[in-house]
Amino acid sequence: MTLMHELTKVSFTNLDKVLYPGLDMKKSQVIEYYIRIAPMMLPFLKDRAIVMNRYPDGIQGEGFYEKDSPSGTPSWVETFKRYSETAQRDINYIICNDLDTLIWMANLAALEINITVSTRESFDTPDLVLFDIDPEPPLNFDDVMDVALLLKEKLDELNFRSFVKTSGKKGLHVVLPVVGSYNFRQTREFVHQFGKFLSRESDLIVSEFSESRDPGTVFIDYLQNNRGKTMIAPYSLRAQAGAPVSTPLEWKELKKGLRPQEFNISTVLKRKTSPWEGLLESRQKLEVQ
Amino acid sequence: MVKDQDKAMPSNRPIWSGSITIGLVNVPVKLYTMIRDQAFSFRLLHNEDGQPLKYERVCTRDDKVIDWKDTVKGYEIRKNEFIVFKKEELDAIRPESDQKIRLDKFVSLLSIDPIYFEKSYLLIPDRSIDAYSLFMTVIKQMGKAGMGKLTLRTKEYPVVIYEYRGALVLTTLRYANEVIDPMDMEDLKELKRPAKKELELAEKIILDLTGEFDITEYTDGYRMKMEKLIEKKMKGEVVVAEVPKKEEVRELMVALQETIKQLSK
Repeated sequence: MTLMHELTKVSFTNLDKVLYPGLDMKKSQVIEYYIRIAPMMLPFLKDRAIVMNRYPDGIQGEGFYEKDSPSGTPSWVETFKRYSETAQRDINYIICNDLDTLIWMANLAALEINITVSTRESFDTPDLVLFDIDPEPPLNFDDVMDVALLLKEKLDELNFRSFVKTSGKKGLHVVLPVVGSYNFRQTREFVHQFGKFLSRESDLIVSEFSESRDPGTVFIDYLQNNRGKTMIAPYSLRAQAGAPVSTPLEWKELKKGLRPQEFNISTVLKRKTSPWEGLLESRQKLEVQ
Repeated sequence: MVKDQDKAMPSNRPIWSGSITIGLVNVPVKLYTMIRDQAFSFRLLHNEDGQPLKYERVCTRDDKVIDWKDTVKGYEIRKNEFIVFKKEELDAIRPESDQKIRLDKFVSLLSIDPIYFEKSYLLIPDRSIDAYSLFMTVIKQMGKAGMGKLTLRTKEYPVVIYEYRGALVLTTLRYANEVIDPMDMEDLKELKRPAKKELELAEKIILDLTGEFDITEYTDGYRMKMEKLIEKKMKGEVVVAEVPKKEEVRELMVALQETIKQLSK
């Protein structure tokens, strides 16, 4: 019989702990999910600073963000140090470039795994531009999809290749991989200007932070395009009832009636497609042709 | 060393000697440990060469090792703010290690709330067999326990002395302010009286399971496994770590094997 320690450096703890009470989903099942999704997920974590959102007492307990590698981090877990303006000190970020580190995080009940939109070699020059599309009630996911499709149409017209994923909550993330020659001010401004442009096309869309809480609107959030800011990683679980997953989608999957809850811990592994394949190889210039 | 028998054996050295005083009567006694903790302890070794490690006092500012003689005691009043005490100051208020246990009250043994019991010691006559025997017999017959105070090293304990299996036993007690009042727990304030029907049913279950108290029905499984493991190791057998064969662990292993295969493609 093969022993566990020949397969992973991680020693599992509290496997019986229920993390999603509604589904009676235990930590062992969360770890199994991350083990099985690893081949799809790891490429998008590679060389990016990781921020864990840990829920040791399950999603009904108190969760906490962990930017710094926690005390007791094993020596084989890779970390790298960067000054954080928001925290005003050096942060020892975790780097997750292998299966063991992913399993280790899952064992820490890090249900939500967040990544920076830049890599560690070029921390100040983003390689991903993020349009975070978020609805305010009474608007629903159909409206979010409408806005995302409008955005895609406009991006297509300018020959930009864009990718879409569910946030796992109510919204959608549209991502544009770019070559690393822009700073965050530029990518942020790009998204902001695009939001302004789209807000003139549709009454639903708002482009300013001050309007983001207005009922019946969809906000195109550009503020995540900032140094040290993170987005939920593709294929990360969310700490919500039903264990939804932030799931990369094919653009053609966005059809009226689709609901983000359909993509969860039990269904995502069965999907046959990998819609974000090629994303990291499609880094493009932000210039309008 | 692992002992063959599981029985706790008495030690040969008393930890205190003096006398029990009741009014004008003295009973000279020696105090022996009665509780033997059977937990295993390990030494911490250096992984590389197996050498035992020692603890040192290290300054939190410059990481230098500090000698005992260069230390003073500090009481933390706020985070990182201390009042410093000299040895003489502490000695001045320290309770004197008294050679007497004065019993000033006798109570019914059964009236003592067991929650206050801390640790039990065996009292052995110190060239005082007759007085010891008389005192033991009388409190046994009357079902009484003597209350008093004992100073051990630097701490003063309330104690109770009573007869147990043909000997006098001394048990140190907790102070009243060391025990938490259950009624201070919010959750307990909402307890409701159960319905009569439920109560009758529950009573039946308890009656079915009623028996005599016998502590030997319980044994420490971990300790027994530990003993076996140590025996094996001493005979030079290689001990292979056994993975708990639970269903979920097996599932994780299957998943691991599949993912590792996929990743190595």
